[in-house]
Amino acid sequence: MTVTSEKAMPMQDDTLISVRGVKKYFPVHGGWLRKKIGEVKAVDDITFDIKKGETFGLVGESGSGKSSIARLILRAYDLTDGEILFRRANGSIVDITSLGDREMREIRREMQMIFQDPYSSLNPRMTILDLVGEPLTIHGVGSPSEIEDRVAELLRLVGLRPEYVARYPHAFSGGQRQRIGIARALALNPSFIAADEAVSALDVSVAAQNINLLQDLQEQLGLTYLFITHDLGMVEHISDRIGVMYLGRLMEVGPTEEMFSKPLHPYTEALLAAVPQPDPRGNRERKRVALKGEIADAMNIPTGCPFHPRCPYADAKCRAEVPALRSVAGGRQVRCHYAESLDLTGVAAQ
Amino acid sequence: MIQSNNPFPPERLLQLDDVNVHFPMREGLVKAVNGVSYHINRGEVLGIVGESGSGKSVTARSIMRLQPKQALDAGGSIRFRRKSGQEVLISSEDRQSSTMRDLRGNEIGMIFQEPMTALSPVHTIGTQIMRTVMLHRNVSKADARARAIELLTKVQMPRPNDIVDRYPHHLSGGMRQRAMIALALACDPTLLIADEPTTALDVTTEAQILHLLKSLQQELGMAIVFITHNFGVVADIADRVAVMYLGRVVETGTVDEIFYEPKHPYTQALLRSIPKLGGQKARRLKTIAGSVPDPFNVPDGCSFHPRCMRAVGGVCNVTAPPEVRFPSGQMSRCHFAEEFRSEAAE
Ligand SMILES: Nc1ncnc2c1ncn2[C@@H]1O[C@H](COP(=O)(O)OP(=O)(O)OP(=O)(O)O)[C@@H](O)[C@H]1O
Ligand SMILES: Nc1ncnc2c1ncn2[C@@H]1O[C@H](COP(=O)(O)OP(=O)(O)O)[C@@H](O)[C@H]1O
Ligand code: SF4
Ligand code: SF4
Ligand SMILES: [Mg+2]
Ligand SMILES: [Mg+2]
Repeated sequence: MTVTSEKAMPMQDDTLISVRGVKKYFPVHGGWLRKKIGEVKAVDDITFDIKKGETFGLVGESGSGKSSIARLILRAYDLTDGEILFRRANGSIVDITSLGDREMREIRREMQMIFQDPYSSLNPRMTILDLVGEPLTIHGVGSPSEIEDRVAELLRLVGLRPEYVARYPHAFSGGQRQRIGIARALALNPSFIAADEAVSALDVSVAAQNINLLQDLQEQLGLTYLFITHDLGMVEHISDRIGVMYLGRLMEVGPTEEMFSKPLHPYTEALLAAVPQPDPRGNRERKRVALKGEIADAMNIPTGCPFHPRCPYADAKCRAEVPALRSVAGGRQVRCHYAESLDLTGVAAQ
Repeated sequence: MIQSNNPFPPERLLQLDDVNVHFPMREGLVKAVNGVSYHINRGEVLGIVGESGSGKSVTARSIMRLQPKQALDAGGSIRFRRKSGQEVLISSEDRQSSTMRDLRGNEIGMIFQEPMTALSPVHTIGTQIMRTVMLHRNVSKADARARAIELLTKVQMPRPNDIVDRYPHHLSGGMRQRAMIALALACDPTLLIADEPTTALDVTTEAQILHLLKSLQQELGMAIVFITHNFGVVADIADRVAVMYLGRVVETGTVDEIFYEPKHPYTQALLRSIPKLGGQKARRLKTIAGSVPDPFNVPDGCSFHPRCMRAVGGVCNVTAPPEVRFPSGQMSRCHFAEEFRSEAAE
């Protein structure tokens, strides 16, 4: 088993995953000979820690690199550069980017993913027993009868009746299918789950039920979550800390309450201002300046601060110099030249 | 079709009375729209909210007479006031009648969640807008092109003179949405039906599109039926709101009534289950028990009763509640609506 590389700083005791200087560039081909004509910097120099037992939320516009980060952590993608440290259940720390396939297979038991689309992520020709039991079968854990018992236990854990094991996915509602996906992810007792837009496709009332379930499971099983979503109200509710992504980079990282009540980055401010609230009077009173322009093309990232073409506070320095992600007071990090001098507006607690 | 006896006052643009649309399926009859009534006045924004499958889209499509082939019109009336002031009974028109073809595009525009359902991938944005303009107006090609550029400018499309000659696949999601809005506005409709037009967009782009629709609505004085499942969006854009559940409108009122004095247990429960930004940090979200029943097994009595915290045995599971109307115009389809008179949402 690989040990932490020499160059790396040791991981803090309360940290489960440490993402360090991670990059993922995708080549872009085009033209007559399908030559490489450029690259998409889907993830560019990302550094953050996920603490044991916490929920780390990732937000940002479409294409900003959220799913790519989840895939890199689960090694569904190989990375271009950087390292990802993971604290295993047995206490050892591994750099998952340097593991071979066999070692990675072991680690995968400890890291799982749940997906957005409860309709397409479950094979329609498999019964619930087969779907939830599959990870156990693949890893050769238990006899058929033991697997059956474990599946029944998992179904109960996610609030589904164990009698349903012989049914097929189409016999379940969207919210129930999501629960089947959760049961499947829990089969091998992972310590870490990445949830990519896990409740985005669900109805309001069902999303609320499943969010409560995820929080109960976290408490019962001591799980750590990476929670990716477009829904800022949901991410505020579920996350202890949040990372805000823009064009493959982290713009701001910090504890949820502090960040949302007093953002340090103009992009965070803009995102929060854009959310229409279920409060008509509040919406009428709030000054909601729509952010101008659209997210830049990931192949043509602007010079200087990548956000400068849309930033109401940008100046000449912003157009020329790339701000670094730097640590500021209160366990927060921000990538803006003027984080200290700007007085930004968040969402007031009610 | 029966002509409704309800009055159709002059400020009224569109009125649905007891509209029913059914789908015969192998498993049984789906009453997708099961007695829907709502109206919209000139220049007003009516928000329609409800969870998926509640019948929002099927109702909208029957206003356009663009229901799926297997849909059965099972009664009710849909009336519309034309620009000329003349009243049309849309519910007795065929999909391909000359009146409907004239109304669609010329008086009623429609936009969707997925812009590619409205835009053709093989024609430029300009060609598509010009075609619509020339279909309804007697104008030259040059004038139609000028109109296309004017419309693209109006929807705040960046570089309209360039975009007019581009194909939809050259545009980003937000730009396609703007192109579709431009197309829908080509002939100055008095009514725009918008079916989840911002659901697939990022919050930032959504805010831009909502802002655009509001300013166009004010500038052009058109009315909008805005369909969404997002209560934040409806709070932002609507003047009045209709809440749908299982093929019925269960509550209607002004946007403030719906959000601050909901008088139907379903509306109340939904509002409590949304995590509000900057809201109190309760660890658990309030939920509604169970899930929306499948459309073949609609519960008897009040169709919400198996999930309703207020349900009273022997009443709610037996008798369908009437429409209870309040002096302000608010309506709640609940036996106990009167009891929620002074109760504000938490
Ligand atoms: N396999 C791939 N090949 C090439 N480019 C890719 C690939 N996967 C992602 N990208 C690009 O990387 C960038 C980040 O994509 P990613 O899917 O991580 O975004 P996201 O933040 O999850 O967006 P969304 O909110 O839409 O899910 C985008 O520009 C995307 O087009
Ligand atoms: N073409 C169709 N054939 C059969 N059933 C349909 C069809 N279109 C819609 N339905 C059914 O009608 C009901 C209402 O659908 P819809 O109006 O699309 O809901 P909403 O827009 O509120 O999500 C649902 O039960 C749906 O399954
Ligand atoms: S560095 Fe400049 S452009 Fe970038 S976010 Fe800060 S103020 Fe705006
Ligand atoms: S009629 Fe009864 S079941 Fe229906 S909403 Fe009212 S209280 Fe609830
Ligand atoms: Mg994604
Ligand atoms: Mg719909």
